[in-house]
Order: sequence, then C-alpha cells, then structure tokens
Amino acid sequence: MTNHWIDIKNADVILIMGSNAAENHPISFKWVIKAKEERNAKLIVVDPRFTKSAALADLYAPLRPGSDMAFLNGIINYAIQNDKIQKEYVVEYSNASYLVNPQYAFNDGLFSGYDAGGRKYDNKTWQYQVDDKGIPRQDKTLKDPQCVYQLMKKHYERYTPEKVELVTGCPKETFLKVAEIFCSTHKPNRVATIMYAMGTTQHTVGTQNVRAYSLMQTLMGNMGLAGGGINALRGESNVQGSTDAGLLFHLIPGYLPSPNAKKHATLEAYLKDPAVIPVTNDPMSINWKKNFNKYLISMLKAWYGDAATDKNEFAYQWLPKYSKATPYIVLFDEMDKGVLKGAFYMGTNPVVGGPDANGIAKAQEKLDWLVAVDLWETDSSIFWKREGVNPKQIKTEVFMLPAASSVEKEGSVSNSGRWAQWRYKAVKAPGAAKSDLDILDLLMKELKAMYKKEGGKLPEPILNVVWNYTEAGEHEPSPHLVAKEINGYEYKSKKLMSTFMDMKEDGSTACGDWIYCGSYTEEGNMMARRGLKDAPNKIGTFPEWTWCWPLNRRIIYNRAAVKRDGTPWDEDRWIIKWNGSKWKGDVVDGGPAFGPDKKNPYIMNGEGVSRLFAPSGLADGPLTEHYEPWETPVANLFNSQALNPATVKLDSIAAELGDAGRYPYVGTSYRVVEHWQAGAMTRNLPWLNELVPDMFCEISPSLAAAKGIRNGDKVRIFNTRGNIRAYALVTERVQPLKVNGRMLEMVGMIWHFGQGCASTGDSCNQLTPNIGDANTMIPEYKAFLVDIKKEA
Amino acid sequence: MSERAFLVDTTKCSGCRACQVSCKQWNNLPAENAEFFGGPEYTNPRELTAITFNHVKFFPIDRANPEKPIWTIMHKKCYHCEIPNCLNVCPEKAISKKDGWVVINQEKCIGCGACENECIYKVPHVLEKDLSEYGTEQRLMRYKSFKCHACTVNAREVPACAFACPTGALTIDVEQKVLKKADARLAQVKKDYPNASIYGKEEFEGLKVITILKDKPEKYGLPVNVKPIDMVRAEAIRDMYRVASMFSMGFPSLKRAAYRISRRIVTKDFNMS
Repeated sequence: MTNHWIDIKNADVILIMGSNAAENHPISFKWVIKAKEERNAKLIVVDPRFTKSAALADLYAPLRPGSDMAFLNGIINYAIQNDKIQKEYVVEYSNASYLVNPQYAFNDGLFSGYDAGGRKYDNKTWQYQVDDKGIPRQDKTLKDPQCVYQLMKKHYERYTPEKVELVTGCPKETFLKVAEIFCSTHKPNRVATIMYAMGTTQHTVGTQNVRAYSLMQTLMGNMGLAGGGINALRGESNVQGSTDAGLLFHLIPGYLPSPNAKKHATLEAYLKDPAVIPVTNDPMSINWKKNFNKYLISMLKAWYGDAATDKNEFAYQWLPKYSKATPYIVLFDEMDKGVLKGAFYMGTNPVVGGPDANGIAKAQEKLDWLVAVDLWETDSSIFWKREGVNPKQIKTEVFMLPAASSVEKEGSVSNSGRWAQWRYKAVKAPGAAKSDLDILDLLMKELKAMYKKEGGKLPEPILNVVWNYTEAGEHEPSPHLVAKEINGYEYKSKKLMSTFMDMKEDGSTACGDWIYCGSYTEEGNMMARRGLKDAPNKIGTFPEWTWCWPLNRRIIYNRAAVKRDGTPWDEDRWIIKWNGSKWKGDVVDGGPAFGPDKKNPYIMNGEGVSRLFAPSGLADGPLTEHYEPWETPVANLFNSQALNPATVKLDSIAAELGDAGRYPYVGTSYRVVEHWQAGAMTRNLPWLNELVPDMFCEISPSLAAAKGIRNGDKVRIFNTRGNIRAYALVTERVQPLKVNGRMLEMVGMIWHFGQGCASTGDSCNQLTPNIGDANTMIPEYKAFLVDIKKEA
Repeated sequence: MSERAFLVDTTKCSGCRACQVSCKQWNNLPAENAEFFGGPEYTNPRELTAITFNHVKFFPIDRANPEKPIWTIMHKKCYHCEIPNCLNVCPEKAISKKDGWVVINQEKCIGCGACENECIYKVPHVLEKDLSEYGTEQRLMRYKSFKCHACTVNAREVPACAFACPTGALTIDVEQKVLKKADARLAQVKKDYPNASIYGKEEFEGLKVITILKDKPEKYGLPVNVKPIDMVRAEAIRDMYRVASMFSMGFPSLKRAAYRISRRIVTKDFNMS
C-alpha cells in the first residue's frame, strides 16, 4: 500500500477491483464503512462475481475474468477525452509533458523494438528526447504531438465505452457510471483510493494492470494524498515483510535488483547499471536510488563484517547471482527437469497453491529430498501417497520439521500498510516445534560446522557470514538481535542507526535492510510502540503506533500531496505542508532539505515525476494494452496479438493449451474468509469447516440449467491439466456476460482445498495454467478455460 | 446498569461470520457436522441449533437493479424478547431474565421442548446428543435446551459476537441509545434502500436485538407486530403439567412426557373452542 488501512476512511471514492476485500481483508471494511458513513464516500466494486464486497457497494460493475485491462484503459480514455484530469498535478508531477523519441511507435498491439523470436522488447525507442544538458525536453502546454500526453491520447482513444462493453461484457452504461464516479476525483478536493489484490495481478498482464491504476491515480492527482494511492491488499500476514526482505526471485533485501551473473560481475558493474541506479542530469530530481550503493555495501557489511572490505568489493563476490531468472513457474519447471535436487518448504504448500498442481506434485518426485517445515502435514509433504501413485516408486526422502505458529514466537509482522508491528510469544510451541528463526539458526550453524570440517566448492560465503543471534547465556537465537541487524548500526561503535540518510558506502555502516532503518534504534524497539496519538487533523495517521517503513512515513509519495508552493491540494485532509522553510506533518518523502518548488516528488525514478509513460522498467511496453489471457474464449478485439507478446511461454506447456471448443467456460479462482490460503491452517479447525466444509464452485443459474446441475450437486470441472470434484453453488451472484455478441459463462472456484487435513477436497489449482505475467511471472490463476458436468 | 441491547445493521454486514465463530470459541461449542451449505448461499448451518447460538443468514440476492443488487446478510440469534414466549411456557421456571437478557438455567431444564415449540423465531433447541465432553460452564448435556445467553453465563463486558465484528454491523449499547442510533441510521440508509426498515421495536413488546434491514421485515421471514403468547393458554398448559408431572417421580424423561401430554390436551381444547 502506498497509504495504509486506516487511511481508507479518508477517501471520497473507493474502487475495489481485482479484490474481494470484504472476504479476504475483512478488517478493511471497518474503514470502507467509515468512509461511506462519515464522508458519504462512494464504493465501486468491479468483479466477475457479485461478491461480499459488492454487497455493500454503491455501484457494482461485472466484467469477464481477464478483461480488466480493457476496462481500466477505458477509464483512462474517458478521463482524457472528457478532460477530467487534475491538470496542474499532471503537468507538474507526471511526465505528461515529456517528449518521447520520434521513433517510438505502436502498431497493432506491438510497441516499437519488438523481437518476435525472443518475445521481448528493446526499449531504445521509448526514451525521452533530451536537451544539451541531458534533461528531458518538455512541453508544458501538453500540445506537442510527441509529448507523453498526446501519445496517450492517441493510444487510449481506441478504448471507447462501446468497445469496453464488447470485450469485458460490462454494459456500457454501467461502465460509464464507474468512469464518471471515479473521475469525479480529478478535482483537487476529491480523492479516490484503489484497493486491489490478486484479481489484478494474477494475469499475463498483471503488472500492466497495476500500471493502469498508477496512470489513473496520476491523472486524477490522487497519489500521495490522504485517502488516495494505490493499495495492494497483501494476501497473507507478513507477506509484505517477506518481500521487503527480498523473498522474491528478482530482488534482494530493500527492493534492490538481484545481481545478474553476467551483467553484474563486479560491484562496480552492478552500481553502474542504470537499471539499478538511474542516471539523471535533472536538478529537480532527488533520484533516491543514487544511494543504493550505500545500502548494498551496508548490507554486505552486515552479512560479512570484517571480511567485507574495500579491498574485496565488500564481499560482493560472495553474494549469489543469478544466471537465469527463476520465478515460481520456472522453479518447478527446473524441478521437473531434475535440475533441482532438494527443496526446503517453509510455510508453503505448492501442491495446493501452485499453478498446475498435478505438475508440481509430479515434479517433486524428481527431488532427492524435501524438507517441509509446517504446522501440519500438507499435500506437498505427503505428495508421495497421493491418489494414483505408488509410494514405493517415489524416491524422494521427505523430512518434516514441526514449526511454531505465529502466536508461539516473537518478532515483527509487516502489514499491507508497511507497518512493522512487534508481536510477543503468547504460548510455548508444543512438542519439538520450533520457530523459523530457531530452525534457520540451527541449520546455519550446522552448515558452517560442516563447511569448516569438510570444505566444499565455495566455502567462503558460508564460513565468513557473521552469525551471532544468540545472547550470551542463552541457547536460542533472539529476534531482537536479528531486528537490530536489519535496522543497521555504525559498524565500529555498534550504535544503532535511526535513519538510512546516515548510511555510508565506505563500510563504516552495516544494515540488513535499508528500508527498515529506524525500526530498532538506540531509543528502543520502535515496532513495539503502541502510541495512540493521531495527527492534528485526525486523519488516522497515528505516527506513534508501531513503526512503518520508510522512516515511519505513513503515506509514500507524500511530496505530491502539496502544490509547488507547499500548500496541500486539500486542506481538510492534509498529510504534509511546507511553509516556505519547514515541513509539517508526516515524514516527508525524499528528506526535509528541499521544498516542493526545488525538487520533484517522485523520488524513486530518475525523472522525479510519475511515469504515465514508462521509458524503462517494464518488459511489455511503456503504455498499457489489452491482451487476452493465454486461454481465452474470445479473440482480442483491440489488436491482433492474442497473448501479451512479452510473456514467457515455457516449452513444457504447449500441449496444455485448452481451446474454447472443448473447454468453453472461463475458470477463475479465489478465496473465502473462512479458509486460509492452501488451507493447512484452517481445514484442521472444526469451527471453520462448519462454515465452509467442502470444495465448491459457483455457477450461474443459466449454466446450471444448461448442464442439469442443481444447487448442492456434485460436479466435475476439468480441462487439459486436471479434473476435479466440487460441489456446485448455483447462485444469482454469478451471471453470464455478453462478450462480443455471445453469452459467456464462468466457473468460479475456491482454491483452499487439498488433501492432508481434517477437511479435504480437490485443489482448484490442478486446473490453473503454468504461465505468468511478463514482468513478475506471477501465474495466471485468474482466467483459464474449463468445462463442467454433473458427476455421474 | 440500564439494560442493554444489540444493534444488527445489515447495511454494514460483510458476512465474515466472525460472530458465529467467536461465539463457538467463547462458549466452547462443538462444530456442526456440515456438508456443503445448509441454507441459501453460504449459510451454514441452515438454522440455529442447540450448539449454534448465533449464525449468519445469507438471503438470496435480489437483482431488480443489476447495478446495485441487494444481498442481505443478517446476523441471527436469540432476540431476547421483552415478554418472551419461552419464559412464559417453561413449566419448570428454568428460563429467567438476567439484566434484561433471557437466560436458560440448564440445571432446572427438563428438555420438554416447550420453549422450542413456542419461540416463533426458532431460537432455543433441545440438545438431542450427549456432548458433555465439550461443555465447560455450559455443561452441554443431553435433553437440555440451549440458546444465546448474551454472554451472561460466561460473562464478558462485550458479548463475544459483538466484540468480534470488524465492520460495526453488530454492536451493543444501552437500549435507549440503540433505539436512537437505529432511527438515525435508518434515515441515513433510506436513500440507498427506500424500503429499509427497523425490526424489533414492537414485537413481543420490544426485542433486545434491533435489526436494521435493507427491505421490509416480511422479505426476511420476520413477522411484524407479533404479540406474546396467550397467557391463558400458557397457564392452562402449565396447570395441566403441574398435575401430570406428579406422576413423573422426578424422572426427566417422564417429566418430558408429562409436558407433551399436557400440551396436546390443552392445544386440542383450545382448537376446539
């Protein structure tokens, strides 16, 4: 979230799309309801199904799963065509006025620079025109045909309300109402928030779907303001903390890019790569990433201590580098090919949660060993005795390590609003169960001892790593010591730092994760604070409640909340103010040294302004464009590309592509409030099984009638990848949609079920495809093809 | 302390069912043996039972306006009537009022089912199975009647269901304030739901659970302006039972039989007249 949960109450318009927040983030509705009750806020829910969130909406708009981009681009077009943009904000704080290389082109779904063989783009022609000082050329009247705004106008004019209806199935009148209400926030004193989740991201165009939100919120001038922003509702407790800590294939702690073996062979090469540290000549740009050298070197210093010096690139060579990007999908492809020999699962259950779950279970058979750290047996740890296999023929040795649950251990949990909240251990873990920290500590100590004794191919990174997380006299590691290292300290004095602004690139500071600097200082554990003081204008900032990254800044991009003269766009819900010499309010983005007249507000890119057009950073184009899901029942009406042209298609999936002739219904997957993710946490709890006891799907009364299915019947749902059993919930909340003249039905499924718990059922992910987004490769769980029939 | 009441605001309910689960947890109640969904949409179980003191009813959706379909999701538990039928028909005086809440004393209950029969909301239920291993304070014993006691048995400041509600759809406050809040809220939601109504002001001389509905109460199967049971009839049953139970020698099963016989006789008389 750029903003935070409480801040939802400050919105005038709330757009929930690609999320069923009432179901999956129930507490968020406390603030949604407050906004409705106290501000008369309008809640819009756009969703293929009429959900629990929609039940409380002022306006519900249906759309076909996988057509979000057409809908969002339609809103962008509506805003531009009707001149409903926050002009001053757009001119000052976005790149709308920047002139783009005249060679940039867009033709029939392809941007210039496309390499069809490699399914990738060269972004050379997407760059800005620069003046003799190397600063992008601008036309602040937004009239130059090469300026971003004009390019956008042309690009999006194809997304007419009529076309949006044809592609999404959302009636034109309803779509226009959504656009009108949302765009009413282009006025400076009206603000919209966008709440989204996996319904937005789990598509082959997932990243660009989120980009579309950025474009909309920039055009409306809603970024940085209280009640605004783009708010990703994270799907799991502390998943925010895990990404902050670098638990993604393409990132290391603090959102620094993972170093690549070829491109970043030396520390210097890494730091000189403009994809790591942008280069800018613009004096208006803060370009915060220029500090990444300090952050990386401080991280290496925290990891390797005395062994990291300016003589050995601060041990940069011991930092793992990738030679091939291995996101989730590729990981299991490699497992299937036998490249991976062993796997560690900590709190993960891919055989229920991963795409093409049957394929994952099969891939696991290729492993020599699998360590499953969990509270219970899961499908992934008992895959060797699943239906249809002979355990004797599976060689994989499985080790189960019992884990402590969240209430049986101490530590921080970061929520979607970036608040790191310290939790205490409430009860002792049962039996031999241990916390993750304990398990990792024991493992690392053992590894170090083994490398010391036996040597190995490259023992240095293990032998030299500093590993002292146990207080004197104790034998269990302390989460406080880990938190202190994450926070950072002056290397010699060990004094805890309070801001990353003091970090150095000379090895004199150490810090595990720069964005957490300030979370645990000499004043104590800031994450354990429980201060209840609100901001003076009572907008729910609560700056003394725990701690939030970065630097306890409650709303990021908050520099954009004021005009160039420092006065807030909206005086009523101001988050920061600049009085000509000093900042007041929230911790200002980019440091307090400069006023808004001297520096641009978007500090994390080279320009310092919001990128309506992205010259770099995206694999699949500088502007958003609609492409169909990999499996789709319709042709792409916006261009002759079917699939996102930059999405990686693994060779292994070619045979799995289902066609609409055999599998005519759009399948989609989602969660219910009663169950948790892959279900191991909830399918063992009788009270929750009472509420949702079985795997079920949701279908419309019309599809049910066509297939002779009645509510409560057992059905089979199947495609090229799997064939699952479920109960059918026949509901008016699901309706067929008229897409390009044809009625289209969908089959919605929950994905919580699997074997290995008290309540069992088939996993919906046996049906989901092994293809993902062009940038992140997050799997396309939300739109695929299936057929359904009543179980004989 | 002045008497309190619950306010159920269905215009704020998102159907998370935290109320249902927290009640089970706080009262240490076993789970129902469920298959699929017992009632419309996600409703489970279909109705209240002896081991489910509150639950969430998901009504079928009304799609008259496809841009704003109405889907009512309603928390349901004992309404704690001002003049409760159950209390008036109980032959053993096992049901009483405590701080305004209607409470069953299972020590006195003989499981005759009088309360179950006479509650038009189908709230109290006699437990047919022996589940005593679950009960702590509750003592979940066979042939005893159970229902919501507003957490007066396992006392807590805010009843578990209201405590768990994340959206403010279920709250508890002083009765007079609840009535005022309900009126104010009704005025506010009328613009979105022109047929919105308040249920519980008149029924049984006033309920301690006031519900704000998106439509008329009849739409949700809630009878309006119902009066308490005819006291003459209730007394006639009790009088008859007083005589019949003398032959029970204190055996609960014979007491139950005595009640059933008494009720049958009196009901027949009343129907004939």
